[in-house]
Amino acid sequence: MNLYATLKRLCLISSPSGREGAVREEISSIISPFVDSVSVDSLGNLIALKKSRTEGAKKVMLCAHMDEIGFIVNSIGEDGAVRVGTLGGIRLAAASYTKVISQRGVKGALCANADVQPADYKADTMYIDIGAKNKREAERYVKIGDTFVCEPSLSKLCFSRVCGRPIDDRVGCAVLLELAERLSGVELSFDVYFVFSVQEEVGCRGSKPATFAISPDIAICFDVTATGDTPSAKPMACALGGGAAIKIKDNSVICHEDIVKALCKVAEAEKIPYQREVLTFGGTDTSSMQLTGCGAMAGAISIPMRYVHSGVETCDMKDVAACVSLAEKYLLSL
Amino acid sequence: MRSMNPYHRHILNNGPAELEDISLVVALASLFGPTGCEDRVAHFVLEEARRLCDSASCDRMGNVVGRISLGDPQKRKRVMLSAHTDEVGFMIEEIKSDGMLTFGCLGGMDPAILAGKRVLVGNEKTLINGVICSKAIHHKKKSERDSAVDSDKLYIDAGFTSREEAEAEISVGDFATFDEPADNSFTFGRDGQTLKMKALDDRMGCAVLIELMRKLNRERESLSLDLDVYFCFTVREETGCSGAIVVSEKIAPDFALVFESTAVGDIPDAPSEKRVAELGGGAVISVADRSTIYDAELIDTAFKVAKKNGIPLQVKRYLSGGNDAGHIHKSGVGVRSLAISVPTRYLHSPTCVAHCEDYRSARAIGFAMLEAINEI
Amino acid sequence: MASEEKFDKDIENIKFQLQNEIIKLCSIATVSGFESRATEKVSSMYRDRLDSFYCDAVGNHILLRSCGRKDAVKIMIDAHLDEIGFVVTEVLDGGFLRIANIGGIDRAIIQGAEVTVLGDETLHGVIASTPPHLKGDDDKLPTIDKALVDVGLGYSKEELEKIACVGTPVIFDKTYTSLKNGRLAGPSFDNKACGAIAICAVTSLEPSELAGDVYITLSCREETASRGGAYLCANRISPDYAMVIDVNLANAPDVSERESVPMGEGISISYSSSTSRALTRECARLCKEGEIPFTPKAEPSSTGTNAVAVNIAGGGVPVVDVGLPLRNMHTYNEIIALDDCYSLYRFIRAFVTSRELAEGFAREEGEI
Repeated sequence: MNLYATLKRLCLISSPSGREGAVREEISSIISPFVDSVSVDSLGNLIALKKSRTEGAKKVMLCAHMDEIGFIVNSIGEDGAVRVGTLGGIRLAAASYTKVISQRGVKGALCANADVQPADYKADTMYIDIGAKNKREAERYVKIGDTFVCEPSLSKLCFSRVCGRPIDDRVGCAVLLELAERLSGVELSFDVYFVFSVQEEVGCRGSKPATFAISPDIAICFDVTATGDTPSAKPMACALGGGAAIKIKDNSVICHEDIVKALCKVAEAEKIPYQREVLTFGGTDTSSMQLTGCGAMAGAISIPMRYVHSGVETCDMKDVAACVSLAEKYLLSL
Repeated sequence: MRSMNPYHRHILNNGPAELEDISLVVALASLFGPTGCEDRVAHFVLEEARRLCDSASCDRMGNVVGRISLGDPQKRKRVMLSAHTDEVGFMIEEIKSDGMLTFGCLGGMDPAILAGKRVLVGNEKTLINGVICSKAIHHKKKSERDSAVDSDKLYIDAGFTSREEAEAEISVGDFATFDEPADNSFTFGRDGQTLKMKALDDRMGCAVLIELMRKLNRERESLSLDLDVYFCFTVREETGCSGAIVVSEKIAPDFALVFESTAVGDIPDAPSEKRVAELGGGAVISVADRSTIYDAELIDTAFKVAKKNGIPLQVKRYLSGGNDAGHIHKSGVGVRSLAISVPTRYLHSPTCVAHCEDYRSARAIGFAMLEAINEI
Repeated sequence: MASEEKFDKDIENIKFQLQNEIIKLCSIATVSGFESRATEKVSSMYRDRLDSFYCDAVGNHILLRSCGRKDAVKIMIDAHLDEIGFVVTEVLDGGFLRIANIGGIDRAIIQGAEVTVLGDETLHGVIASTPPHLKGDDDKLPTIDKALVDVGLGYSKEELEKIACVGTPVIFDKTYTSLKNGRLAGPSFDNKACGAIAICAVTSLEPSELAGDVYITLSCREETASRGGAYLCANRISPDYAMVIDVNLANAPDVSERESVPMGEGISISYSSSTSRALTRECARLCKEGEIPFTPKAEPSSTGTNAVAVNIAGGGVPVVDVGLPLRNMHTYNEIIALDDCYSLYRFIRAFVTSRELAEGFAREEGEI
């Protein structure tokens, strides 16, 4: 499996929160050969299980979310303007005046009411111009409740860096797929659940029921994190190209110290580049995995990323490779 | 002195059984049931559930659940029908030395609608009349006249003249709600089909559940459905400390239909993109709100069955609000959920305004969805 | 006369013992998210007095004192174990660390604070204040990410990284001061003071006196997670009924009476839509019967404590929210009154021995 090719394949399929079907099918078809079973729960989480031969084995849950931020159609004006609400934390100033695409493949331009300044952008002041002259024309292509996302793309920058969207969190999905391939044929003493969760961007809604169903002993989340290495960035000791980020905390969770220590130890021993991540904003599925049911020992391996939730999300493929290696070696060390 | 409203009198004399349709809505909405003190509503619905369901109980939070099982036990899907019993209200925070009561709000309340309103003050046992007061316009500085009075500057005057006198009847932690409409004028409008009163959110939902309960009970022999239908009357929706969490985790349903009221802005001067839905346009289906992205297949199905059965139905045209579905769909291993709402103007006020036909549409869609879920 | 004197002396003894136990537990570092570090210490303090002691995968410490009877009710008393603190976010040259807050910390109180860095070695430090000539024209407080912990001269960056790497917790120094009228000042009373009092109260009773098996949950992550560890504890235990104890904001000159509770006049009992009204009333009755001073406090939508989560966990648990008045919350000199501690002690004893509660709130498992 080529990591970049997988990432690109996943990025180009749109998957707004709550409507993740297309990406789910793609991931399902990729992971099936490497696992014992694949299932979909009632919210749409994809759960792939690699069983061990041991009776009553411990359960390790690995989770990356399939959904991306997007828009949902609220109403259509007499002038044909498509009004939308947001799904997830959209940076409207970054998303405005870019192309968007609907679940039916209808393209449009995301624009702001002319009398509003970028700092004041709200969902209510935005509209999508699909090229329709009036409501009747627009209604032939768009229905209330349809979803839109910013146009997907992925390109290579200099060196090993890649840029586009939605790398958050298709890159986590790509890491899990790569991991599943590497572990296929390896006999482990515990069950591994590869969970591709839904609705993370709207508040970690999908991972909770998935965790409840699995009731894992150990849960590791694979999601992106911010960096502090761009001009005037909020201070953060995490850099693109600095290796896999071992999460200590974000705004939703403080990871179990034993997991942090174990991951660092593996990285040291295997000479995998890593950095310790303290993120002072944002949340991940790690929290819902930690605090569901009777609780699980939870941690996260994060992929450093610049310009989160924009059209130019940027990652270093070397970091991505480090995340895969770290996860693999950690699992083999259990 | 106002006399007892006819619906209360009817309940006292005959029990809830014979009330139906709008009478049932009004009877339910008349009951005192602020968040955390839903006892009177729970009692009403429990009596009906005991009469009509295969089993019915009230848990320790005050959630009432009734079950009607239909068809083949091997094939039954579990469907949760949910409506919340609580209404927005107030909790008494202090009893002042002069007998005035200060209060905090239960649920999202706009301070602009509070001052001057009649309220009922008390708990599950006693109720007395009161009025929400603030200082008169004569006492207000010019700058104060531009904005609403914050709820912490308002107080309830129930006529007490001292703390001792008040404490004999009212305690800190007691409750209050808006009172019923003046002169028992529950309906208005040209055809008398527009409803106007407190607590339509969500007693209309409770009424839908009771009517569906009756229908399933009445027609159980002729229905070819394989379903366990749970009628769930949940507490504490308005403050987010939802009883629905506890109920849905206990039942672990496959599907949930949440019957709610949704705030609409179909009034003059509202921009068209913020009207949300139209009164009289039928029940409202939400695609997503702040708490839930609803199940796509259930949404499509609702519009299909509406078309097939000639039931008016509209889609919510704005992403806002949230309800018990937000807790239900994430509970347990996940629940496929749909919200069916009655469009309501001036939600969370003493004068919620809704239309009878929209209520009937919600009821009809509710039943049609049971049939449809049976086929999924 | 003589017996009255002895009685007063007994009370003074209990208060003295409470003070010692409070300071002992509060002195243990339990930064939110790092509670598992304290397991050994907490365990060694209490193990002898308990039937079981358990730390779960998240950092909850569950202490069981059994009544010795079969099929007894399960009573849960929750007091969160975690405290506010900081975490190292970056190691700098010259013996400085950057930090982020864990839990709600007032930027107005951190400059000049003495702190302990809980790295591989324990380091002492101070939080830097801005010299006057480096201040800008506006008097806005700097954000926490600008705060620096100064650990003294002599450390190279590399050296310091080995001792206090990114992710190392930092706490306010633990110093306790007695004030007039049995008032006590110091860090971390929120909420380990309540935990210590609960353990003292429950273990002061003979097992046969208990109305059921008492689970004291020193739960984790109250300060940092929206639904803290107490929720998991309640799921695990499925108690018949529960009490959540947390500190409550005490009266102060610049705070309205309505938003606070009086100090030195006993515990507070919350009336809220997020707790059980029936259990709350029973508890108020227990106080009146036992002449335990208390203040009823209305908190309409939410108590803002673990009670909210415990209430909806484990199939729904009737819960009462009880508060210990505390002034200067989330600083390194929180203030409590030993009189109130004693009231809380008495109330907890009444709560766990009440046969009426055990009968009235025993779980009835019914099929729907």
